[in-house]
Amino acid sequence: MASATEVVEGVTGAISSDAVERISADEPKWLAERRAHAWSVYEATPMPTTKLEQWRYTDLRKMLDLDSLRLPEAAPAPDDRAAWPERLRAALDADPEASGHIVVIDGLVVHADVDAALAKQGVILTSLHEAVGRHGALLEEHLATEAVPAEEGKFAALNAALWADGVFLHVPKGVRLETPVRVTRWLTESGAAYLSRVLIVAERESRVSYVDEVLSDDFAEQTFTSTAVEVVARDGAQVQYVAVQRLGRGAFYQSVQRTLAGRDAKLDTLNVALGASVSRIDLNARLLGPGSNSDMLGLYFGDGSQHFDFNTSQDHVSPNTASDLLYKGALDGSSHGVFRGIIRVHPGAQKTDAYQTNRNLLLSPHARADSLPNLEIEADDVKCSHGATVGELDAEAKFYLMSRGLDRVQAERLVVMGFLGEVLARLPLGGVVEKVTRVIEEKLAHHG
Amino acid sequence: MPENDTIQDLDLDEYKYGFVTEGKPVFRAEKGLSEEVVRQISAHKDEPVWMLDFRLKALAVYNSKPMPTWGGDLSDLERVLDEIYFYVRPQDRMERSWDDVPDEIKETFEKLGIPEAERKSLAGVGAQYESEMVYHSLREEWSKQGVIFDSIEDGLKNHPELFREHFATVIPTGDNKFAAMNSAVWSGGSFVYIPKGVSLSTPLQAYFRVNQERMGQFERTLIIVDEGANAHYIEGCTAPVYSTESFHSGVIEIIVKKNARFRYTTIQNWSNNMYNLVTQRATVAEGGHMEWLDGNLGSKLTMKYPSCYLMGEGAHGEILSIAYAGDGQHQDTGGKVVHVAPHTTSSIVSKSISKGTGRSTYRGLCKVHEGAHHARSNVECDALLINDTSRTDTYPYIEIEENDANVGHEASVSKIGEEQLFYLTSRGIAGDEAMAMIVRGFIEPIAKELPLEYAVELNRLIELEMEGSVG
Repeated sequence: MASATEVVEGVTGAISSDAVERISADEPKWLAERRAHAWSVYEATPMPTTKLEQWRYTDLRKMLDLDSLRLPEAAPAPDDRAAWPERLRAALDADPEASGHIVVIDGLVVHADVDAALAKQGVILTSLHEAVGRHGALLEEHLATEAVPAEEGKFAALNAALWADGVFLHVPKGVRLETPVRVTRWLTESGAAYLSRVLIVAERESRVSYVDEVLSDDFAEQTFTSTAVEVVARDGAQVQYVAVQRLGRGAFYQSVQRTLAGRDAKLDTLNVALGASVSRIDLNARLLGPGSNSDMLGLYFGDGSQHFDFNTSQDHVSPNTASDLLYKGALDGSSHGVFRGIIRVHPGAQKTDAYQTNRNLLLSPHARADSLPNLEIEADDVKCSHGATVGELDAEAKFYLMSRGLDRVQAERLVVMGFLGEVLARLPLGGVVEKVTRVIEEKLAHHG
Repeated sequence: MPENDTIQDLDLDEYKYGFVTEGKPVFRAEKGLSEEVVRQISAHKDEPVWMLDFRLKALAVYNSKPMPTWGGDLSDLERVLDEIYFYVRPQDRMERSWDDVPDEIKETFEKLGIPEAERKSLAGVGAQYESEMVYHSLREEWSKQGVIFDSIEDGLKNHPELFREHFATVIPTGDNKFAAMNSAVWSGGSFVYIPKGVSLSTPLQAYFRVNQERMGQFERTLIIVDEGANAHYIEGCTAPVYSTESFHSGVIEIIVKKNARFRYTTIQNWSNNMYNLVTQRATVAEGGHMEWLDGNLGSKLTMKYPSCYLMGEGAHGEILSIAYAGDGQHQDTGGKVVHVAPHTTSSIVSKSISKGTGRSTYRGLCKVHEGAHHARSNVECDALLINDTSRTDTYPYIEIEENDANVGHEASVSKIGEEQLFYLTSRGIAGDEAMAMIVRGFIEPIAKELPLEYAVELNRLIELEMEGSVG
């Protein structure tokens, strides 16, 4: 598709083939080649426009200024708690027990620890950058190959070409982690483009919960963060992936996630989006093995002029698979929530059970919700349904609470918490529920 | 499930409208779409200059718009359009008396049962053959009350002001590529005016027939339901089965004024080689009530989404849609409701059945504009899949800009339950009959709203189609 004017969309002073060469200078050949390939895909892929169904309600021309972004230059922060920002420390302090921790500051892993007993059993929890040297074979097999390859789209290609660091978690066969792995990220540099990856491989019959929280203060200039998340659950493995986004205003949060569930695997996800100016999550759950199962949960609360866009898909490839999606959001101010989800039942995926629900609560006359729950069914022996609602606060519930002596604001808060609480109740991980509840309460305090 | 050869044969025989009538049209334009063809159509209709200008502008809009990339597979359509006749004039004038209609055309409609239907107390009947209305009649009691039920061409001639005031106001030329095409080459269709307060006790009915091979039919219907009036309009469509594709692209504009009520029923049973791309839209004023009852049984590909724009306070819109997609068919149908004013309500109920390699798609929009407070809308879609080669899709768009609104969408997909089948067969009902019973039960909420003869027809179709589907 050569055009007369050879303008390559998305190539800027900072985001360039030079940058790709620089970053891969000291890397093994396979990785340098993979980055170069991703870069060529990036160059060949046009920037998504609202003419594309998946981008219909998120206009990147208005919301993202790639030209103004630069790649972060700061040296890695020290692995020294005392030197870390107070809000980061507070977030860490609020976490209960964990099987291991990763702390990421400005895109680079500065701290990693894992329970000694688990490390002995072969659990790997490390920075992706380090894993390239120490676990090259595993990375070469999984990184940007089967789950989120560059071909996935413009942002997936950008990420695969220019990722700086990330998290690698490998749980060997039969190993079960009783408490979650906790990753906490802090961003400071305004105007930067942070590109990071997560690779989780849970071998047969293993079990792990992973919680990834990202936070920052408000940014003066647009700050871009891109995360490519690859989760592989082998036969019989049980994996929970949780992402909590609490970025400040000015942030553009973009995340491409894919989960691959093997035979009888249980692979659940929860995306909580509370912060940032623009948040875009693409999540694809692939039920690859017979008997695999995915719960997909989402929660968002928008205010001000926040824009949330969730693009989810449930691919039932094998028979006897099940997925159940529930995304709920409350929208205040002039915020805008977009949910586009699709259930695809592939030919031959008989006895599929697939459900999809998106519910929106509009708290202000200027808030807006767009919901597109889609189905594409190519097998006949299936149970599939979807539902979407957009509505106002339940007036009866509010009235009931007020008749019990609560004032209007208190009553509204309770109703909203009850509405959103349903999502957290389905995946009640310690630390997550409390933090999310607190942020929502803070947001609700502004709702008059 | 094992396929049954005799049933396969039956399926082929099932389309009973597939006959061809011999006869020579009085005029046929060259194949394909060109400015020349547009000018010829306009000249044949002896139109005012403004209409010719309108058509030519529409042609430019059509040419400037790309072929849609969503919906059904239109990749072959440009080739088909180059090969079809956009304008075929079967006779020189429209008749008011059935006896005056040329024999071969009369024979066609008699086979379709039109005169019989007319005797069965319809308020009025219209019949379109190829590109022109060949017959229109309205019972005297209604014409006396000022009801107009005419061909669209006579509407333009005899009621120029009323026509021009409303024409292309509901569906502007640029609305979509096929609305633009229709605007350029429209021919035939009905012009209906129901005066203030007049309530028709029986329906108006129009029949559309494409007889010739490689024929394009582009009817244009404009219906104005004045304040407090009430009427029901039914259209039926059939065509012979040819080996080449035909094309039908209608534009139906309906204006429902204050406190008026209107129902528009379509039973599309085009042959399975027909592209059927139709734009149907109604605007509904304060307290008005619009219902679309949309039945899509035939065609190769149908893309049709009847719409209600609820413009006045308290307006109500309703869309009942039923689709049947058999082997090789794609029904891409649904509905749109747009809430512009406060206290407006709407509902969409869609039921589809996919069998063999058939594919049914629900595509719909529910939009609530800011300020349309107390809007309520509910959408329900149910799809039934008969074979493992069948496919169904659901693509609803829900766009809500008003917090004081309640909108819900629900869809479910299922296969005929083995328990249901087992229960019926254990009661001594044969498998085919049990299957047909379940399917009938599934579509009953919509089928019961159909005019009787269509409901009977639909039941017959289901029985035929379900034979041999239980192994």
